[in-house]
Amino acid sequence: MRRGMVIDLEKCIGCRSCVVACKQHNAQPAGNWWNRVVTPGSERHLTPPEKGKEYFLPIHCQHCNNAPCEKVCPVNATYTEEDGTVLVDFERCIGCRYCMAACPYGVRQFNWEDPKKATARYGYQDGYTYGHPQEFRLKGRLVYMPSRFKGVVEKCNFCVHYADKGLDPACVRGCPGNARHVGDLDDPDSRVSKMIRDKNGFTLLPEKGTKPNVYYLPPKRKEV
Amino acid sequence: MSTSKKIGFAITGLLMLAGLVAWGIQVKEGLVLTNMRNSYTWGLYVAGLAFFVGNAAGGLVLSSMIYLFGVTSLKPFAKIGALCAFANVTAAMLAILPDIGQPIRLYNLVLHPQWRSPLVWDIIVLNLYAALSLLYLYLLMLPDFQGPLKKIALKVDHPKEFSEKWAKRLAPYSLAAAVGIHVITAWIFATQGARDWWNSAVLAPDFVAAALASGTAIVLLVCLLTYGLKDEYTQAYRTMAIFIAVALFTHIFFMYNDFFIHYWYGATEALDVLSITFKKYALAHAFEVVAPLAGVILLLSSNVRKSAGAMMTSCFLIIAGIFVHRFLLMPGAFDRVPLTIAPLGMQNTEFSVPIASGQYEPLMNTFVTEWHYFPSGIEIAIFLGVLAYVGFLIILAIDRLPIVKIEKAQT
Ligand code: SF4
Ligand code: SF4
Repeated sequence: MRRGMVIDLEKCIGCRSCVVACKQHNAQPAGNWWNRVVTPGSERHLTPPEKGKEYFLPIHCQHCNNAPCEKVCPVNATYTEEDGTVLVDFERCIGCRYCMAACPYGVRQFNWEDPKKATARYGYQDGYTYGHPQEFRLKGRLVYMPSRFKGVVEKCNFCVHYADKGLDPACVRGCPGNARHVGDLDDPDSRVSKMIRDKNGFTLLPEKGTKPNVYYLPPKRKEV
Repeated sequence: MSTSKKIGFAITGLLMLAGLVAWGIQVKEGLVLTNMRNSYTWGLYVAGLAFFVGNAAGGLVLSSMIYLFGVTSLKPFAKIGALCAFANVTAAMLAILPDIGQPIRLYNLVLHPQWRSPLVWDIIVLNLYAALSLLYLYLLMLPDFQGPLKKIALKVDHPKEFSEKWAKRLAPYSLAAAVGIHVITAWIFATQGARDWWNSAVLAPDFVAAALASGTAIVLLVCLLTYGLKDEYTQAYRTMAIFIAVALFTHIFFMYNDFFIHYWYGATEALDVLSITFKKYALAHAFEVVAPLAGVILLLSSNVRKSAGAMMTSCFLIIAGIFVHRFLLMPGAFDRVPLTIAPLGMQNTEFSVPIASGQYEPLMNTFVTEWHYFPSGIEIAIFLGVLAYVGFLIILAIDRLPIVKIEKAQT
């Protein structure tokens, strides 16, 4: 089993619902975003860089098979699960940020200050907080917690805390365009493997040799 | 104790204290007090690691020159060499400490080391090198321990011969360790395919070359400060000057060789990276080349070598130039977001995918493609504290230990 994701750029409407769902479900402190959606070629989101040319590109951790972030981590805080998911153990991380220098996709985020303090700067009414309230341990390792420690790294955890309950990641469930699909990339008959085959799935920065488990399907035309 | 030593202790002591206080504040508030952010994750602290590791080269290179290659004129300076090596390699570890977000968890390095990480290898070789240079210093001082220091002296029949014999035996290992710390520190950067600026096979050899220049310049500087100019040292100073010059020319050759190859091929990514150093940091780059070059050209002139002041200025230029060189490791790697894509269906367009900055500020962009980094006051205070530690340790050791004693008795 190699858990992978396919994102159909034809179906992505650039609404950033996945970004919001991800931020809220995973209690990301102010300033940190595990997931982002951009309009390639344009300075502004949702603005065509050229007349008639516009598509949207969601980016988060690519759960690389040859993950440089994992290889550089001096304490094995960043590690790969059996299903290929790359995780960060919040209790283990020493905060050296080597992994952030190593990741070519810029998806890793650091807790530069106490996350509670950071989020207080939002000034939400009545101290409103968000996020899945329970911490989650996978084989004893703390891979999700609603309030992070100061000075540790975080990034997309493929919603392991939901996968454990048989649920798809928050971004998949929250996508109104149904652009996101999760499945087994090792199984040639799985829906995701078929999508990659039939629709010319590609990965980002193949030249870096990271071998991502996140694939993209190219868009055919401009979404209007 | 002389007044100049007292002033030295006072200045370095105060700077160390200030650095310690700054680190305390940073531990409490978090690395938000630095000017690094998600898109610019390493700065002055890591540049400091590279700088001090490089400076540590001189010491054991000196001892290996004496004991492996028979350059006996350098013998009076062997102890200063080992001392500078120890001071700088421990400073390298101190410089990287404040970069750690959770310093309390450092025990994880012992409990759960991850053997594929170049950082783990580096920590091991740096500690080995520190131990080795301390051992070297001890061996070299062995024949000269007097008074209360006699208590720590190893009881051997012929301390002089013993010291000589073991210094010789250890020399090959110290040379290997000296090369090792630079190569492995360079691998921390050079292995990173995500950063085109670092990902080069020449980085490690270049690191060694730059280290030999700045490391030897530091030893020369300390020798000049303690022994001054004397006829009997002319030959030794000349040898060091030539050695520094050869190392520096090699470093500049390695550096420009790399630039040239990338420039000639002209890939957009490579040109973008080069333009950071050559345009955005043009002045700093000019300094990193011109200052040390001027320094070695001066040192090579026998007239300049008649003035201790001029020689010290030259050493200072070399060390400052290499410091700027180490600092410039960062902009080339972090000023440009590594994830740049060619948007589908568009010609000749390159698009940098913005990164979340990591800090919420009402007036600041949430996602950034550029981050202007200059170290914050806290970072500078901590760095100066580490620099002061090097000075403090060297003055203290020279004051308390038989490092320059015998020569003093002669004058
Ligand atoms: S995308 Fe970055 S953080 Fe995610 S596995 Fe790859 S290298 Fe690591
Ligand atoms: S910041 Fe944490 S997860 Fe990243 S390399 Fe350092 S210890 Fe590992």
